[in-house]
Amino acid sequence: MKKLDVRLLRMVKHSKGQFISVTVIVAVALCIYILFSITSINIQNAVDHYYSTTNMNDMVIELMRVPQVAVDDLKSIQGISAVQGRVSVDVPLQVADKDEKVNIRVVSLPKNGGIINKLYTVAGIRAELGDDNVILLEQFANARNIKIDEIITPYINGRTHDLKVSGIAASSEYIYVMENDQSLLPALDKFGVAYVTEAFAQSVFGYKGSFNEVLIKVDDQSNIEDIIDLLEKKLDKYGLKRITKLEDQLSNNVLVQKIDGIEMMSSVLPVMFLMVAAIIISIMLSRIVNNDRMAIGVLKALGYGNLSVLSHYTKYAMAIGLAGSVTGITGGVLLSKPMSEVFVSFFNIPLSGIQIEYSYILNAIILTSLFCVGSGLFGARGILRIMPADSMRPEAPKTGKRILLERITFLWRYVPFSWKMVIRNIFRNKRRFAFLVLGLALAYGINVVPLYMTHSMVSMFELQYGEYQKMDYTVNFAQPLNKGIITDLSRLIEAKKIEPRLEYPFELANGWRKKSVSIIGVPQQTAFYKFEDKDNNLVKLPDKGIFITEAIAKLLNVKEGEEIVVKSFLPGKEDVSLRVTSIVKQYLGANAYMNIETMQALLLDKQMITGVSVASEDNLKEKLKDVKNISAVSSIGDIKQSFVDYLDTMNLAIGFYMLFGGILGFALIYNATIISISERTMEFAALRIMGFDKKDIYGMISKENSLTALIAIIVGIPLGASMINGMSESFSSEMITFPAALSPKFFLQAAVATIIFVIIAQLATLKKIYNLNFIDALKSRIS
Amino acid sequence: MQDSILMKVLNVSKDYKMGEVTVNALQGATFELYEGEFVVILGPSGSGKSTLLNILGGMDLPSEGKVIIKNEEINKYNDRKLTAYRRDKVGFVFQFYNLMANLTAKENVELATEMCKEALNIDEVMNEVELGERKDHFPSQMSGGEQQRVAIARAVAKNPLLLLCDEPTGALDYKTGLLILSLLHKINRQFNKTVVIITHNMAIGDMADRVIKMRSGRIVEIKENENPIPPERIEW
Repeated sequence: MKKLDVRLLRMVKHSKGQFISVTVIVAVALCIYILFSITSINIQNAVDHYYSTTNMNDMVIELMRVPQVAVDDLKSIQGISAVQGRVSVDVPLQVADKDEKVNIRVVSLPKNGGIINKLYTVAGIRAELGDDNVILLEQFANARNIKIDEIITPYINGRTHDLKVSGIAASSEYIYVMENDQSLLPALDKFGVAYVTEAFAQSVFGYKGSFNEVLIKVDDQSNIEDIIDLLEKKLDKYGLKRITKLEDQLSNNVLVQKIDGIEMMSSVLPVMFLMVAAIIISIMLSRIVNNDRMAIGVLKALGYGNLSVLSHYTKYAMAIGLAGSVTGITGGVLLSKPMSEVFVSFFNIPLSGIQIEYSYILNAIILTSLFCVGSGLFGARGILRIMPADSMRPEAPKTGKRILLERITFLWRYVPFSWKMVIRNIFRNKRRFAFLVLGLALAYGINVVPLYMTHSMVSMFELQYGEYQKMDYTVNFAQPLNKGIITDLSRLIEAKKIEPRLEYPFELANGWRKKSVSIIGVPQQTAFYKFEDKDNNLVKLPDKGIFITEAIAKLLNVKEGEEIVVKSFLPGKEDVSLRVTSIVKQYLGANAYMNIETMQALLLDKQMITGVSVASEDNLKEKLKDVKNISAVSSIGDIKQSFVDYLDTMNLAIGFYMLFGGILGFALIYNATIISISERTMEFAALRIMGFDKKDIYGMISKENSLTALIAIIVGIPLGASMINGMSESFSSEMITFPAALSPKFFLQAAVATIIFVIIAQLATLKKIYNLNFIDALKSRIS
Repeated sequence: MQDSILMKVLNVSKDYKMGEVTVNALQGATFELYEGEFVVILGPSGSGKSTLLNILGGMDLPSEGKVIIKNEEINKYNDRKLTAYRRDKVGFVFQFYNLMANLTAKENVELATEMCKEALNIDEVMNEVELGERKDHFPSQMSGGEQQRVAIARAVAKNPLLLLCDEPTGALDYKTGLLILSLLHKINRQFNKTVVIITHNMAIGDMADRVIKMRSGRIVEIKENENPIPPERIEW
């Protein structure tokens, strides 16, 4: 081995604490990168594979009622490769605990199981489906611990049916099981799907020879919009409600978001980590070069050229990169299998095999080399300035200068002496200080983000269900009814207030931009709904006009005061032009809102309602279970409970984030302190001789670090805020809008976390200062 | 022995800019160095002797004048050529030894020889400087004299044309200093290397073939020693 490399290895050994702390950062960065990249690929592959084995639909059409012949007729449309009709209705399920509300979606299957959205089963199905048995969705069966041969009892049209579970299967339509787009989270034990025979479903729901949903498979994805246009025309007369493409289907949509989220994690975090590592490496190297000034001079005197000396020191950075890459990539690759398995089993899809994408490893190596070599060269560039002749002479002392703050004499006068020294020291090396502050601010930002995520989830939830929608229950009818039903209902339940509700799907269009959404009609003087515009001003529903949410406004490119066209899917209804009187906030789901009376008059039928909102302490689910025409009763309390459960599982993820931020903060402060000690050995030695004790010197360094941390936190606040904005932008979708609400609370919490890590790092350097031999330090410099 | 000229120094000056002041560290130095010669450059601190040594060794370039070694004008060299010159032609010995702290004695020598084409056998050189037994020790485990012997081995093992020593005894006690001087003398005679020592210690001048005296950046006298005395008999 070359003697310079031997020297390098000993240099690494000598500074192993620093070396390891930076290597850990690089390793964590690469581990995250490899792990999440490979995991997202594996999930994507698994999903693709799953979709192709089960022949996942390209779109789902919801209608009032369409006869078999009309469905068969669709096959003749060019570009459509397969068609399958089905009946799908949500009904309550009777369970042991009467207070528990469970809904089940009863879906019909064609005789041989059908050709589209085939069920996926590992265990096999015991019996042919008949009139008395069902195949149950696996996640639901597992969550409720329902076994094969057990009986489930749904209420269908006012009576219970005892149905035996003859099979348990998974469906590509329910990889992510959510009841509807208002549900924030899956509640696996509260909502399930039961597959029954066509004959049974058609008979109990009254769809003799017809269906209310059609699954479509197309030959070529690029023609899909033309096919949709054609289908809209053809199916208009059957009460077309909406056509949902695969990309908009709830389960797929959430899945894509999750995969995107993993992918984003795989790029943003590692880059931040590598940036911090680069900062530390360049600070470390510039200090090493400075300390090795004489040695560098000797090397040059011996005949080593600039390039060999520069590469000698840059190799230190490369060694960090190499050690970090090897551990990080190995860790990432090893963890990617269990991680993919966890995700895939969480989504309940079969894993199609683990694929290690080698291009990611290559990327990781290139990325690390760039960062490490770049920061190494940057840090060690001082080598070029060292002349062998000059380096033999002791370096001139750093110029002591007055800093800006000192010119503000009335302030400076009040700074205690020990702090004056601290402040001057900090500003002695401005660039390094700036780097340190930037790195710590990043670490602080990384701590802010998860706190924000939890906070915003909670506040999103509280706003949605505590402010914007204050009912205790929403009741949906199986079919539109006359609003007179409210009188009947109020006799059945004890309610403080019942409000009519009309929810119906329409297509909103602005020029060529269009979007299918549910318009919700509520009374103008509603007690349950509250609307706020983006500036948090309360707005009232107009007589005529429509409210849309921010997400829809963005999608349709509509501004307040502009008109949009509301197209009805119902036969014989004219398109209506409405003014967007306000763009309102809605965090969960994306809807449009109208005055119920205007909506009835303009778009549907007078007096027609599809459900009610209720304020009641009564147990509505129990009371309404036998009532005909009620398809679903959902309780806000249940939703809240499932959210609280979910938050518990979030804590782990938040812990990880905080740990990541902590590692960064630790490594920064630890390295900076070690560097500062080694640079100022002489100075500290002189102080010791003057009578300062170890504690005084330690106190001085602590003061420097705390001041740096304080400034970093101040810088980190806007940085964290912009990271939050970025996060809320990228995590928000049509379904979920993250409020970019900035609360001082989590900025404070993050500050506390950052300070804790700074203190830990500070304590780790304690020994170095206590072991400082000041007599040795004052002896002549031998490099 | 003054038959072949190794190096010609012609009217060499060196100015340093220190802020707004220009320091004339060296003015109009002219002399020659012969192969196999032992030369001592004498002068008080600030006399320009270190500057001269740095220029001879290719560590610094003159502001004016020529430095010619074997028909090559090194004052015209660029950085790369200067590096090659230092690597192949010159060996340095410094006052404070300047060994690499984290390399052993032998490794320090190897560090220098690794890139030389005509390096000597390291073990032989280590034995010559009587460090055969101590070659695996780190500088911190050695005395000053031992460290300086490693530095000399490092300079000699490269097999340079010229050995330049900057106050080689300056940090050593009298006895050790004498040992180092004997060693340099031995190397000069045994390997026929041109050795240049700069020092402020007049006594060392007695062992030289020639003494170049400097004061205030100028050469004030060049004196040939008819009968140089052996280093063991020097006293100060």
